[in-house]
Amino acid sequence: MIDQSQNQKMISANDGASFGVGSSGETLYVQHFKNDEARFLGYYLEKLQGYSALKYAFGMTPAAVVDEMKKSNLRGRGGAGFPTGIKWGFINDKTPFPRYLVCNADESEPGTFKDRDIMRYTPHLLIEGMVIGGFAISANVGYIYIRGEYTREAKLLQEAIDEAYEKGYLGKNILGSGFDFDLTVHRGAGAYICGEETGLLNSLEGKRGEPRVKPPFPAQAGAFGKPTIVNNVETLANVPFIVNRGGDWFSKLGRLERSGGTRLISVSGHVKKPGVYEIPAGSMTVRQIIYDLCGGLLNDRKLKAVIPGGSSAPVLTADEIDVIYDIDPLMKINSMLGSAALMVVSDEYCVVKLIHRITKFYAHESCGQCTPCREGCHWMESIIERILHGKGREQDLALLSDIADNIGGKTLCALGDAAAGPVASFVKKFKPDFEAYIRGGKHA
Amino acid sequence: MPKCTIDGRQVEFQPGENLIEVAKKAGIEIPYFCYHPGLSIVAQCRMCTVEIEKNPKLQTACSTPAADGMVVLTNSEKAKKNQRSVMEFLLVNHPLDCPICDKAGECDLQDNSYKFGDAYMRTSEDRRTYMDLDMGPVIKKNMNRCIHCTRCIRFGAEVAGIREMVAIQRGNNTEITTIDGRPLETEYAGNYSDICPTGSLTLKGFRFKKRAWFLKKTATVCEGCSRGCNMEVQQEGNVIYRCIPRENKEINQWWMCDEGRFNYRYTMEKTRVTDPRVSTTDKGLAPCDWSSAISAARNLVQGKKTLILAGSDLTQEEIALLQAFAKQALGSAEIRHFGTPGVKTAQDDAAADKLLKRKSKTANLHGVERLGVQAFDGNTNGAQALLVVRGGRAVLPSLAHLGVTTVIGAGVYQASETKGFSAILPGAAFTEKDGTIVNFQGKEQKIRRAVLPPGKSKTLSEILALWTHQGQQPSTSSRTATTTATVTGGAV
Repeated sequence: MIDQSQNQKMISANDGASFGVGSSGETLYVQHFKNDEARFLGYYLEKLQGYSALKYAFGMTPAAVVDEMKKSNLRGRGGAGFPTGIKWGFINDKTPFPRYLVCNADESEPGTFKDRDIMRYTPHLLIEGMVIGGFAISANVGYIYIRGEYTREAKLLQEAIDEAYEKGYLGKNILGSGFDFDLTVHRGAGAYICGEETGLLNSLEGKRGEPRVKPPFPAQAGAFGKPTIVNNVETLANVPFIVNRGGDWFSKLGRLERSGGTRLISVSGHVKKPGVYEIPAGSMTVRQIIYDLCGGLLNDRKLKAVIPGGSSAPVLTADEIDVIYDIDPLMKINSMLGSAALMVVSDEYCVVKLIHRITKFYAHESCGQCTPCREGCHWMESIIERILHGKGREQDLALLSDIADNIGGKTLCALGDAAAGPVASFVKKFKPDFEAYIRGGKHA
Repeated sequence: MPKCTIDGRQVEFQPGENLIEVAKKAGIEIPYFCYHPGLSIVAQCRMCTVEIEKNPKLQTACSTPAADGMVVLTNSEKAKKNQRSVMEFLLVNHPLDCPICDKAGECDLQDNSYKFGDAYMRTSEDRRTYMDLDMGPVIKKNMNRCIHCTRCIRFGAEVAGIREMVAIQRGNNTEITTIDGRPLETEYAGNYSDICPTGSLTLKGFRFKKRAWFLKKTATVCEGCSRGCNMEVQQEGNVIYRCIPRENKEINQWWMCDEGRFNYRYTMEKTRVTDPRVSTTDKGLAPCDWSSAISAARNLVQGKKTLILAGSDLTQEEIALLQAFAKQALGSAEIRHFGTPGVKTAQDDAAADKLLKRKSKTANLHGVERLGVQAFDGNTNGAQALLVVRGGRAVLPSLAHLGVTTVIGAGVYQASETKGFSAILPGAAFTEKDGTIVNFQGKEQKIRRAVLPPGKSKTLSEILALWTHQGQQPSTSSRTATTTATVTGGAV
């Protein structure tokens, strides 16, 4: 399944690449990253056949664009991995107008920073992807909801949008097609929960950033109560490639069934070369990413744990890293790919402190709407804090697992699962570390 | 009709009904906190989760419409474990102050804790606390007891039409409060207390006054305006402690306004005249017994042309009695109705706000007109004596400039209102009598006696019977058929 020779090629190719950017096989993005010229329209038109996909799409019917997306096997890059073509297909002839296309650029999952590079270096990919997306679902208005902390990216994105308006790639009657599309950058105020699509829509509408009850799903009633498609930055940035070169080509970039294209991964933690990498979807194992792509662990320490998909993904131990790094294989071992943010933890670091920090994050970011998440996340944090301070009890570990079980799958949105999964997996997989605090009176 | 199966029972339902309502019909209780039939559905307390066949995840019953052939389990192990866990989560931070909490005894949290919760707590962490906030004259807030169901927020925004309650902060620190901590502005604030599932929002006027389980409840109708909101009078020992709305989807749904809710207070004012009074030359209006008051009243109208002014807060029965009385005892005296300044006839009555309130501040304006009584237009037609009869809510017309010196008042009066009266025959307020009123939609509704008339007050039927028959030989008809003085105000 894995093409070993290509991996070898990739490593050598990576030698000359700028720090933190690597690849394996054909790459779509990383060759343009770290290049300050790449963000300008001129570069985009010349090096990336900019806006040619848009012209091509205007020659197709919206339904044909959606079909191409379905063929591409592109799965959402935000975390849930929902097939993008199917999502767009929810909007059909009978869907009422107006419709909206919203780009989720909140990128709030801890450990994830791939969308930031897209917006910094190839913002026009996102803009073109959104215009095509708007055309495919017949939406004339698009929003990019960008994380509040991304001040620089918001500015760069706005500059790119201004360029596109100037040259007629946005606005009225784009390229003489008769299709209008307006794009607005909306900055968030710094809440994790606004990365959840319905929380994002509430925030976009100026309401409190709280997830909504589903159904209705955004495709039925989203922004301002109208049919809305919400896609991740990387998902939308892939659209011009798919339209230009075909869904089949994109699908074959991936090495697994049902997972097409390349995948940007954010590697952080105790590795020698952290950063954003691009690999064909499903082409490498976690071990290969850590040791081959990222040069192994910092100070050549031993690997203690890997969080494979942003801090909400259940943790993997050092014995579990021979798993293919993609949605389905990780799901099979009860973890998840999430936003493809790999966090590597060496044996120098205390996993109890790590899970305390993660749980504190989710308790802090819980919106407070639903009971299990509001009460449970804080309760788990308090218990772990107590354990850290040498006041743990034998029954605390069973209690933690049970609380996590009572939260997981029972909350209004996925934040509950995001908080419960890590706790349950840490307690299960690193029990001795917790017991050291409880029995040995080890103090933080 | 489509059918679904809940806990093995087949239940018919209307398309669109959610599982909580459908289960209720079959007598199956699904516990909930944030759900309220009159508010939008947020599915955030997670208490109502049930297991649905072929669905791996538990689903919230409030947000799930019943579907034909759906098989629902409300008491499976999975569902029960979730109920236990939600109760535990809610109690992690809820103070254990039921013994001093006014909600105890009628508290959803308490009831559901007994029914669906665990007897043991596994938490040893400190409980979350908040600073309290003054929310104006109606509601007392105790944020420590709040379980963040957001019913109050939704009630304000969706029903009362004012976005004054909000959630601030987030997660464990979420606080339900008013915008900028301002006092409540809505005229429907009492409902906040009704819909609060815990003791977080309580009525200031009810706090520490009476435990809920001592209250005897009488289903009746509000006399505050021509809508006639259905409500319950709650009393103990002949003292009314509060009134709360009853559900009636066609009239007031689940709500009532503060004016109506606290209207009962005038019936218990110390200044209310509760003994018969007759004007004397030296002491003004002086208390006396019933027989001398009735004799005095009779003498006062003797040989004079009399006009009866009837408040449109009287019941249909009382108006009918008055009509018979006018014919038989007062030489076919005319009757004219009064009630709300600016609302002379039923044509003038209209909605006073977007929710419930009507312009007519008396409950039976439409009924009184149905009985053929015309509005008082300030013209006494040469009357030499006035008999003013009212329930207690109708606003007295200005009598001083009418040039009539003989004025007899029957009904409920505060002492300050009786200036210039020649005699007072104290009557029963709407909480002290039975009768029928007709609201602006033409709906006839019953008001019921919850408490006995205070002091020596009598119902109008008794007063008129005394007037007609006093001094005659006692007979079986010494009391009119509609007299209800022997009925005690029991629970309905």
